[in-house]
Amino acid sequence: MLFNSDTFLKFFGAFLLLFYLCRNDLRARNALIVAASYFFYGWWDYRLLSLLILTSLLDFFVGIGLERADLSRKRKALLCLSVAANLSLLGFFKYYDFFVESMAASLTRLDIPFHARTLNLILPVGISFYTFQSMSYIIDVYRRQISASRQLVNFLAYVSFFPQLVAGPIERAAHLLPQFDRTLTITRPMLEEGLWLILWGLFKKVVLADNLAPLVELVYQNPAGSGPMVVLGTVAFAFQIYCDFSGYSDIARGTARTLGFDILFNFNLPYVATSLREFWQRWHISLSTWLRDYLYISLGGNRQGSGRTYFNLLITMLLGGLWHGAAWNFVLWGLWHGGGLIVCRFWREWRGSRPGLPAIIAWPITLLFVLYGWLLFRAGSFEQICLLTGALGNWSTPAWLKSYLINLIVFTLPLVGMELWQAKAKHLLAPLALARWKLALLQGLLLLAIALFWEKDSTPFIYFQF
Amino acid sequence: MKSHTYDFKGSDLGTLLGWPLVLPVLLAAVMHLGAAWRLLPAPRPILDIDRTILIHQAEASRLRHGADVVFLGDSSCLMDFSAKDLEGWLPPDHRVLNLATLSYVDLPACAGLLRNYVAANPDRLRVVVLLLHPEMLRGIEPVPQYLAWLQKFYDGADACDPNTVSGRLSCLLGFDILKGRLLSRVLPVPLAKSYGRYYGFTTDLHRFLTAQQGSAIDPHQFVPQPGQGNTEYRLSAKMETAGSAFRSALPPGAQLIVGITPSPQSFVTADYPVRHLTMLADWSQCLQADGVLADLPPTLPDRFFASTTHLNEAGAQLYAKILARSLRQHLR
Repeated sequence: MLFNSDTFLKFFGAFLLLFYLCRNDLRARNALIVAASYFFYGWWDYRLLSLLILTSLLDFFVGIGLERADLSRKRKALLCLSVAANLSLLGFFKYYDFFVESMAASLTRLDIPFHARTLNLILPVGISFYTFQSMSYIIDVYRRQISASRQLVNFLAYVSFFPQLVAGPIERAAHLLPQFDRTLTITRPMLEEGLWLILWGLFKKVVLADNLAPLVELVYQNPAGSGPMVVLGTVAFAFQIYCDFSGYSDIARGTARTLGFDILFNFNLPYVATSLREFWQRWHISLSTWLRDYLYISLGGNRQGSGRTYFNLLITMLLGGLWHGAAWNFVLWGLWHGGGLIVCRFWREWRGSRPGLPAIIAWPITLLFVLYGWLLFRAGSFEQICLLTGALGNWSTPAWLKSYLINLIVFTLPLVGMELWQAKAKHLLAPLALARWKLALLQGLLLLAIALFWEKDSTPFIYFQF
Repeated sequence: MKSHTYDFKGSDLGTLLGWPLVLPVLLAAVMHLGAAWRLLPAPRPILDIDRTILIHQAEASRLRHGADVVFLGDSSCLMDFSAKDLEGWLPPDHRVLNLATLSYVDLPACAGLLRNYVAANPDRLRVVVLLLHPEMLRGIEPVPQYLAWLQKFYDGADACDPNTVSGRLSCLLGFDILKGRLLSRVLPVPLAKSYGRYYGFTTDLHRFLTAQQGSAIDPHQFVPQPGQGNTEYRLSAKMETAGSAFRSALPPGAQLIVGITPSPQSFVTADYPVRHLTMLADWSQCLQADGVLADLPPTLPDRFFASTTHLNEAGAQLYAKILARSLRQHLR
């Protein structure tokens, strides 16, 4: 079920009514959330609900086991069991076909006959998100940073909470799980915030991202095109993926807010970053902090010298790239960012206490680096990456450049305007500080644009495929 | 234990949800009043490839163009040659205009385009060439929506769809007015896939059509595959009736010439060239045509095709020459 569909509007309307009826019974509320979340997930393919339930049940009982176990060896074994089971499910459904095909291609190149037996598995939507969320819980319990949950329904609700189930933010148990244990108060400011985030998120998805998508397609379906078009197409993609994904996160956060829950911010003006490190502190925050806390630090972080730190960075980003999808261009994208982070770190260490580059130079360098990364991310194959990169040297332009620019400006300007405002106000919810009539006017404009561009056949969010 | 409490009043909820609705309601009123009082430009919903071509041709039929040779027909007539190139191959005193459409509108709709042209260009028309693909001679029904779009354009009406809830809502909120009268004029819409790669956007396609005097190019490449269509071509009785009605739209003194556009060599059966001639003879008879383009090839090599019914760019260049040679014999 997509947020930008008529079905979700009906579902959420019905849910709000039932949620209201459960207001005097916390258990009933949490059971309702689990039932609704499973309905929300099962709407897409009910068979794959079993994976979600399996992951949840396994981690619930392993969590209790971890808390009860005193022996370090036993605790480690339980942790390994959970991590291995989670990663096996993720690996099998997401990466099996990819690795088999890649192996077959490599062996064929070496003239070794190999019959690839791919299974053409359906990728369970959101599996990367809920697996990481559930794993973070287990690791936190293992590290004794949180207590294991004893309430099965609450834990099921934590793993499957429908606003953020299929595309994040990847929540932390310490933040979300306690909210299922207590009475929530829904206030007017929370409703205002929720409504604003839903409208702004839908605007970013339905109006901006979905109208930028064909502009990206125009360029990437013709990779041997012209340099200016590759640049413009990549800029369009940078905005599209940002609007698409941050739009989802905003709707998720807004939806949760109207129910009295608080979920994490996932984006914080990433394109204003003046270094790659800062970009990753602002982009897909829930994933980058997950990778930092559970992978980079587990590998040793920066505690074992420069060489090992660089290696850890590279491995973390490579796996972060692979997390996005079973394709070599995601691996390359991860390596690109890993390499970039190594250069940034080396630069920081080399300059020591001397001042860094001024923002006016650092910002465009960072942006260009990120943009080329998006080219690697969006391209379908190595061949396409080579063609697109080669096309950068061809400075001819197509006859439809003017139409392209008009569209690009129309569908990026609202975001640029809003982000400049948010950056100036140093507050992501800056519009909520407006006078009530001004806010209503702005919301009316967003509503109008959403309704105008609302498609009956809604376009899925890009991050659903991850 | 209590689940949650609501710390706001019902009126808060009303204000929060109600105020943002004011602007859309105001806009709806402005759109409807603007349309009713003719303060807004006329509807011109060039919002996709079909409507861009349909509206371009409808507009072109109402303009003073001065062409004495007008082509009408289906998408094969639109795509199989450039009217501009063809004009170059004809004697210099002839001007050519192509009014064929991509989305098949039936012969009465073609007759409507012809009547418009005659009204806008009195005493100019000498030759009307009706070119159809054998597929169309089977009497394929036009999509009602295409006919409705054309009629609404003539009537200056907005494209409201009263058959669905979303259509009615869109109409009520004035979205069809906003899209069809304002947005379509300022915001080019990107075309999908191969058409996008070739033309880019709706406005660019519109410009291309104007530059090519109403012709377009199919950017695809034909790849023969089994099950691409039925090659048992025949002339349906329905077309015979519609054909005689079409004839009546011709002004006095103008001659009607008919032809059938080619099919890929590998696609048709071996006896097709003979059937092609029979169909052409029957078709010209029911239209009471003044001339028949009998020397047009029934088939061409596959490499000249974009699909089973359209030529590609190379095919269109070749066909323009062949068509000009055939047409020359009928020009007085």
